[in-house]
Amino acid sequence: MSSGFLKAWVDQAGAFQEMLARLVEQSTAAVPPSMASPLLAPWKNFVDTLGMGDFNPGQMFPGMPALGVSREYQETAARLLDLSKQFQQRYAEFAQQNATIMQDAFHVLKKRFDEAPPAGKTPAELYDAWIDCAEGTYAQAAHSERFARLLAELCNISSAFKVERGKLTEQIARHLDLPSRAEVDTLHRQVHALTTAIRAATASSAASGTAASGSATSGSAASRSAASGAAASGATRASKPPRKPRKRAKK
Amino acid sequence: MNASTESLAEMLQSAAAMQESGRAVLRSMLGMGDVEVGTSEKHCVLSEDKIRLYRYSALARSANLKPVLICYAMVNRPYLLDLQPDRSFIRELLLSGLDVYLLDWGYPDGADRFSGFEAYVDGYLRRCIEFVLREHVIDSLTLLGVCQGGTMSLCYAALEPEQIAQLITMVTPVDFKTPENLLSKWAQHIDVELLTQSGNVSGDFLNLVYLSLMPFRLTQQKYVNLLQMQGDRVQLENFMRMEKWIFDSPDQPAAAFREFIQWFFQENRLVRGELTLAGRPVRLKNLTAPLLNIYASKDHLVPPSASIPLGAHIGSQDYQSLEVDAGHIGLYVGSKTRKSVPAAVTAWLQARR
Repeated sequence: MSSGFLKAWVDQAGAFQEMLARLVEQSTAAVPPSMASPLLAPWKNFVDTLGMGDFNPGQMFPGMPALGVSREYQETAARLLDLSKQFQQRYAEFAQQNATIMQDAFHVLKKRFDEAPPAGKTPAELYDAWIDCAEGTYAQAAHSERFARLLAELCNISSAFKVERGKLTEQIARHLDLPSRAEVDTLHRQVHALTTAIRAATASSAASGTAASGSATSGSAASRSAASGAAASGATRASKPPRKPRKRAKK
Repeated sequence: MNASTESLAEMLQSAAAMQESGRAVLRSMLGMGDVEVGTSEKHCVLSEDKIRLYRYSALARSANLKPVLICYAMVNRPYLLDLQPDRSFIRELLLSGLDVYLLDWGYPDGADRFSGFEAYVDGYLRRCIEFVLREHVIDSLTLLGVCQGGTMSLCYAALEPEQIAQLITMVTPVDFKTPENLLSKWAQHIDVELLTQSGNVSGDFLNLVYLSLMPFRLTQQKYVNLLQMQGDRVQLENFMRMEKWIFDSPDQPAAAFREFIQWFFQENRLVRGELTLAGRPVRLKNLTAPLLNIYASKDHLVPPSASIPLGAHIGSQDYQSLEVDAGHIGLYVGSKTRKSVPAAVTAWLQARR
């Protein structure tokens, strides 16, 4: 593998990084027209027809509250749109950061090969050398505060998007008279609270029964066990003789 | 031919050999079917909601030691400890005459969404331990915690020290904020309240996080290495067992996951002595039982620096740590460690009978 070949790789990686940098700038300014969702295209045409100039959903009526009977939907939709935009921006930054890592890794590999020419190495050994460089460079970046913050921002925006999407689904489910997530959650909460209460009550009654009978060794683990044991908890003791377990169905 | 032409010819030959090996691998993988995991005989002795407590069938004369209850992590499946007959930590313990129980957390679903960390430690784990104590009519047992399960075991043992005769922790995070802990660095800025607001945390998401710790090795190199296995059926099956285990990650119950990240990763409550469960403080100083702390020197998930501080926080006078030259998973299945680690565990227990 010649250093000329590596230089070409490094140059290409640099060009790719520049492209990502431009993408970040565009994303920061607004949603680039080329990246507008197909759903927005009819609106753009409509606004263009009215002669209202450049279509920019994010800046048409900034800060304007949603009005009318569909305001709740509009607000949810606006938040989803805003979160998508935020995600796009952060993701472009993240991709740019990863491109920089790759470029740095190529530099490290080139330096290594400049110092010790790789003549005689097998493709597998060259590949392993590349992985070592890439992983080393990545680890250095991944431990940085900037990387952690960017990763967390991506995660947090995705989480927020999921929450908003859930609200929209909730509204639609209610309109269609379908059981909604909120209803199921309420049921789960009730079952959870009831189970906890039953466990506590049964354990308390078992404890008082044990204390009254005085049959167990006082203060031993066995007596404590009777108080909060499996029978008191709703746990099921397997009664069948040992057998080979059946394969459990996956999630 | 000059030197560079010779070198090029060698490279091309080598590349052709790799290609041929890759074809052999693909041929062997066709029709391979599913691989079997968790092969040691066991039976379920207790079940509650999603959790199961298994007891393994004896494979040797009893060593007359206290029963060992293994508390595995919730984030992965416990069959890693019994992957195949010749790579089984549990089988080695059984062959030493130990009576082994395994707590399997199962696959939590929406019904478990509101179960907090306390429900798992002071609820399920407690009931499993008390079940074993009752079965054997004993006051204490040996608790062996693995990874996150080790942290849970430490919490329980701190709450109920008299029930734990010996405690063994394996690749267990204790101090969650050490400079080498990449997972912890990433967790600091995550809004875990928001993350869990829309339900359980998917196992796929966690897998992506784990892969991101070493993306080049874990998503590329290992598959390139796979192509060099020359179609060796046994090696391929070993690979597939591990592949199956790696991506068999249960979803995490929202409340328990949120609390685990906040309390341990973000606030480091365990070593700061600020953790409370079931209204009681979890003080590591309460741990007075003999304790064996096993960690892996090449662990990229739980770096040694996260496990080593345990000795400084406990009250036990009988503390021993064991550094193993392996990674987080290699500790159990590595060719050098799969027998030496269980042997060390058994020897440690026998010395404290």
